[in-house]
Amino acid sequence: MSQFFRAKKLDLGCFINIKTIRDHTKRKVYAQYEPERQALRYIIRNTTLPARTRAEAQLQLTQMHCYTRPTQIRGRCLMGGKGRGIFRDFKLSRYNFRMEALEGNLPGVKKASW
Amino acid sequence: MSRSQLIQPIRHSLLRPLAPRPRNAFIGSVTRSMADIPKPEEKLSSLPGQHKELPVPFPMTNELLHQDEENQVRLPRSVQALYLQPLRREAEFGVPTCDLQLRSYSVPNLEFFCDFALRAAYYLHLPAFGPVPLPRITERWTVPKSSFIFKKSQENFERVTLRRLIQIRDGHPESVQIWLAFLQKHAYYGIGMKANVWEFSKIGVGKDMDSQLPSMQEAIDEKMKHLGRDKVADTVEKVKELLESERFRHRGGPGIPAYGLSHGPQKVHEGT
Repeated sequence: MSQFFRAKKLDLGCFINIKTIRDHTKRKVYAQYEPERQALRYIIRNTTLPARTRAEAQLQLTQMHCYTRPTQIRGRCLMGGKGRGIFRDFKLSRYNFRMEALEGNLPGVKKASW
Repeated sequence: MSRSQLIQPIRHSLLRPLAPRPRNAFIGSVTRSMADIPKPEEKLSSLPGQHKELPVPFPMTNELLHQDEENQVRLPRSVQALYLQPLRREAEFGVPTCDLQLRSYSVPNLEFFCDFALRAAYYLHLPAFGPVPLPRITERWTVPKSSFIFKKSQENFERVTLRRLIQIRDGHPESVQIWLAFLQKHAYYGIGMKANVWEFSKIGVGKDMDSQLPSMQEAIDEKMKHLGRDKVADTVEKVKELLESERFRHRGGPGIPAYGLSHGPQKVHEGT
């Protein structure tokens, strides 16, 4: 099923890795199914609707593919694909951040001493 | 005017790099006091080309100038002004109309662009105040130099954002807009700008704005398209579609209840 979501052609510019491709696919699928998720969530929480309708919406929401959940998305390092210890400001892992900063590729970032 | 004379002030500045400079002076230049600029009356007599048109009180000579006299020929005022502090207009009432904040990681760029903005404001007849140096934003990151077991040796990085504030007082809203557009057009690299603009108008603005709204709507929509989220998640349509779908209708028994869904789901809470 998750294979079915994946783009047929590579549509990523960062470090390529099965994990980065998967994460990218999850982001796209989430964006695509967001209205449906929100609609179902709305129906579930709307107390003026009949209980049956709301239960049906609950069922439908749980039956949706896991790739459509926002919790599946994880920040990954652009340069190394690492999934942990990512600086949000740069979307880089600590090691790659250090390498880029020393090379001077990050505007304004300098070695600090005080 | 010869080339050497045009370059002269630049040479001056190169010869005196250690001269103390006011903090908002144009980088790469040396501010000269007003006494350095020769007075126009003195100059007229020393300009070679203008001798023939001069009225009688001036000596009618055709001689070449002395070496030292030649050096006193002044630059055009507009060029000379570049070597001086930017001129400023006087604010009559002192009502702030625009706060422009400039941000950068490098001082020279920022100082240069502040200077440019002040000059532009002068020529647009806008009284500008500043640049006020606002507190700098320092962000620091500490990372281990190598793999995790060598946690003891780490490295610090920082990014210092410098900020300057230029305030326009008593500016006509239109000329303030022109000033901002001009600065945006000639935006300098590595400098971010943000502006707060205030407008003052008569009592009863709301009615005026309401009457103008239909004609403005198109222009507003055009601009708002580029701001914020450009896509609308069609949740409302989706809710309608879901409630009308086969699956919901069979479970629901009597079909779609009359909850006023034709007006969108927001109306549902009102009850019918």
